[in-house]
Amino acid sequence: MNEDRIQTFTEEIGELKLRGARADRERWLLILGGLGLVAGVGLAIFGGFQASGTTNLGDQVAFLATGTLIGLALVIAGAALFIRYSIARFMRFWLVRLVHEHRSETDRVISALKEIETKLNK
Amino acid sequence: MTNPILELRNIRASYGSIEVLHGVNLSIGRGEVVALLGPNGAGKSTMIKVVSGLLRPTSGQLIVGGRDVTGAAANALARAGLCTIPEGRGIFPNLTVRENLLMATYSGHKLSDIEERTYARFPRLSERRTQLAGTMSGGEQQMLSLARALATNPVILLLDELSMGLAPLIVAELYQQVAAIAAEGVSVLVVEQFARTVLGVADQAVLLAHGKVQVSGKASDIGEDVLAGAYLGS
Repeated sequence: MNEDRIQTFTEEIGELKLRGARADRERWLLILGGLGLVAGVGLAIFGGFQASGTTNLGDQVAFLATGTLIGLALVIAGAALFIRYSIARFMRFWLVRLVHEHRSETDRVISALKEIETKLNK
Repeated sequence: MTNPILELRNIRASYGSIEVLHGVNLSIGRGEVVALLGPNGAGKSTMIKVVSGLLRPTSGQLIVGGRDVTGAAANALARAGLCTIPEGRGIFPNLTVRENLLMATYSGHKLSDIEERTYARFPRLSERRTQLAGTMSGGEQQMLSLARALATNPVILLLDELSMGLAPLIVAELYQQVAAIAAEGVSVLVVEQFARTVLGVADQAVLLAHGKVQVSGKASDIGEDVLAGAYLGS
């Protein structure tokens, strides 16, 4: 490979734009989902109460549209995010547990083999 | 080593709240083959993801060509010349060999040039040029993935489990090709679970276990006892 290629590579790397995004995006989306869920429920209840507290049809429609409907949309979106990332976390812990068990089993097999080897050498 | 082309400094990486890499250091020089070894779950593939830009580390620095590129997008790094051959080959099984090579023309190289270089390096692919890639043997598929990677004229090549599912004879043949690629000045990081196959061609070896570097040094200095210790946890 010639020096020109290395030079081009170094220049292109030098021009790269770097993201400022955080690595723990998943945690923040989980929290966002939870907050959306709670805020959505609150908004829906608030909209419902406000709508039932007035006899004016225009106010009722406005409360239902801005409170209950937006609240329900938030509940659905928040729940989707929360469930998605909760399941991912659960599956990952499950996988780690499997790996851990596998390692413990290997350690047990090795210690048993060593014990057998020691006994055979006696 | 002077001016490493790729360097990892105290890299920590995690999936959600589970940390997989706990402060890993690694350095690769120009034209060097570095073998990244370790048992299942050691963090080898995670390290490849960090180097290729697919996974952003939680802390530490990724230095490429002397610049800190931590957080750079994977496609930008690939376009510059950091090429990854993922586990499972990463070819298009429903396309022919020639069509697979055509996919590498995004890098700006002509198909005729790519074909010429590929068939010179892997004559067997020349005989299979109209065959669907998915119907070829595992070794030939791996050759195709190597050829496609080389078509982009990479400076750094990341290989994840090259030997997976292949016969030892084919693996030895492929690693000879890897050695030839490195001799041309390409820096190669090879992730391999089966250490013996890669140590013959590697300059340096890094043994990873439980997300930490256990041993690193010249590949020739990594003995059976060191490998057994890292793989079996004794």
